[in-house]
Amino acid sequence: MAKNDKLILSHITKSFSDGKNQLDVIKDFTHTVKEQESVVILGPSGCGKSTLLKIAGGIIDASSGEIILNGVNYKTQIPKEALKTFGFVFQTSNLLHWRTVAGNLLFTLEVMRLKGKEWTDRVDEILDIVGLLQYKEVFPHELSGGMKQRVAVARALVHNPEILILDQSFGALDAITRKMLSFEVLKIHQATNKTMLMVTNNVPEAVLLASRVLVLSNKPTEIVKEISVDIPFEERVPEIYADSRFLEYCSEINSVIRDNM
Amino acid sequence: MGTKKKKKIEWINILAPFVVLAIIVVILEVLAKSGKVAEYVLPAPSKVVAGTIKSFGRAILPDFLFSIKIILIGFISATILGLLLAAVFSQFSIVAKATSPVIIWLVITPMITLVPLVLLWLGNDPNVRVIIVILQASPIICLNTLTGLTTIETEKKELARSVGATRFQAFIKINFMNAMPQVFTGIKLGCIFSIIGSISADFVAKTIGMGNKIIQFTKYVQTDLAYGSILLVALLGIGMYMLIEAIEKKVVIWRK
Repeated sequence: MAKNDKLILSHITKSFSDGKNQLDVIKDFTHTVKEQESVVILGPSGCGKSTLLKIAGGIIDASSGEIILNGVNYKTQIPKEALKTFGFVFQTSNLLHWRTVAGNLLFTLEVMRLKGKEWTDRVDEILDIVGLLQYKEVFPHELSGGMKQRVAVARALVHNPEILILDQSFGALDAITRKMLSFEVLKIHQATNKTMLMVTNNVPEAVLLASRVLVLSNKPTEIVKEISVDIPFEERVPEIYADSRFLEYCSEINSVIRDNM
Repeated sequence: MGTKKKKKIEWINILAPFVVLAIIVVILEVLAKSGKVAEYVLPAPSKVVAGTIKSFGRAILPDFLFSIKIILIGFISATILGLLLAAVFSQFSIVAKATSPVIIWLVITPMITLVPLVLLWLGNDPNVRVIIVILQASPIICLNTLTGLTTIETEKKELARSVGATRFQAFIKINFMNAMPQVFTGIKLGCIFSIIGSISADFVAKTIGMGNKIIQFTKYVQTDLAYGSILLVALLGIGMYMLIEAIEKKVVIWRK
């Protein structure tokens, strides 16, 4: 194990059983996410990408294998006390509709028992970063889809996690909002240097946000191709979409996906 | 939409039920005074109100106060019991599944059919009617709350897990709050069921209570007072219902 290995998924298998048949969604998956890097996972619909993220984020357990976080081997499931390490952004905003924007962020802090002025100030700080400070007392039903998703990102960041996990979090948004949010996440990644693990179904989004892209196969999931995106993060500005290097990466990934359909 | 237009709509919403009520009262008044319907069948609303006010202190008040006592104690107890049972049942899916048929059976069984048996078991003390109110109201409160507590999106459960919430934290901060609209629906239905339970018990046990008064007034052809008593019970129910609705509006200020 190298010093900067943040999260190691070793020989992870996840099977679901309906009593008679057993379905292997993930079989013998092994991968290491290094500190401060941004790993983006692409793959066909239903291949187990979200399941993989939920195992990595401690939401569900693996059937077998080992999850090693910060050098500690937690076997098949990360325990509750280690979950502070992660900030999880779901496919939908998944906001608590009975809580205001600030209340949704406080939910995480209350559950994790992070109290005091330092943390209440942190709510304002994070809302300011995602540009929603003036909406802190507003309820989710009064927000647009993009704003809700920004609150979800803020909620995942409020407890200052070491790893940010995004599970196709912008999939339900329109193209313009999606692009805008991608750049916001990029900005957050650059500013905080947080390790990022993300699933998306959008190739340009993957290239924009990744230091490494993993293309997965259909069930049972395995890594078909691993591509390092060697474009410095500071060069990833809106004009990057027309950059030849960017387009080359997109084309390479698209051809890998096509070949494995 | 402009604020003026919004305010106008709000006023229309408040006034509309009163207009309908006024129309009904006018129709009944005209019908009763036309002489086509016997007075013992349909007394004029004005006579009902006048007669009830006149006899209220002497002939109705003790029974009215007794019914209020039974309904309020029964309803509050049923609310606490219904919520507690739903909270316990929701934690064990097997218990929820096992008890659901019994709860549904209690909801759909007209309590008036069980009142004679309950009085036989518990005696003729009028205060025993609180038990009948509890039996009538708590199942519907429990059933609605249980539905709210157990129908929760998987993503919400995953959110609780992702932040490391304990079972108690997840219940209080997610399940219970998520169920709040159904909890209030259950409480509002429980309020209606409490009144039905109390009057049903009076009908069978007699001796005291508004149900007993309605039977007595009808028996002695004091139809105006019988209608007046029904009106008082209805007003009590509407008052309780509106109070709960006002609390609901203060508590459930969000929309899905």
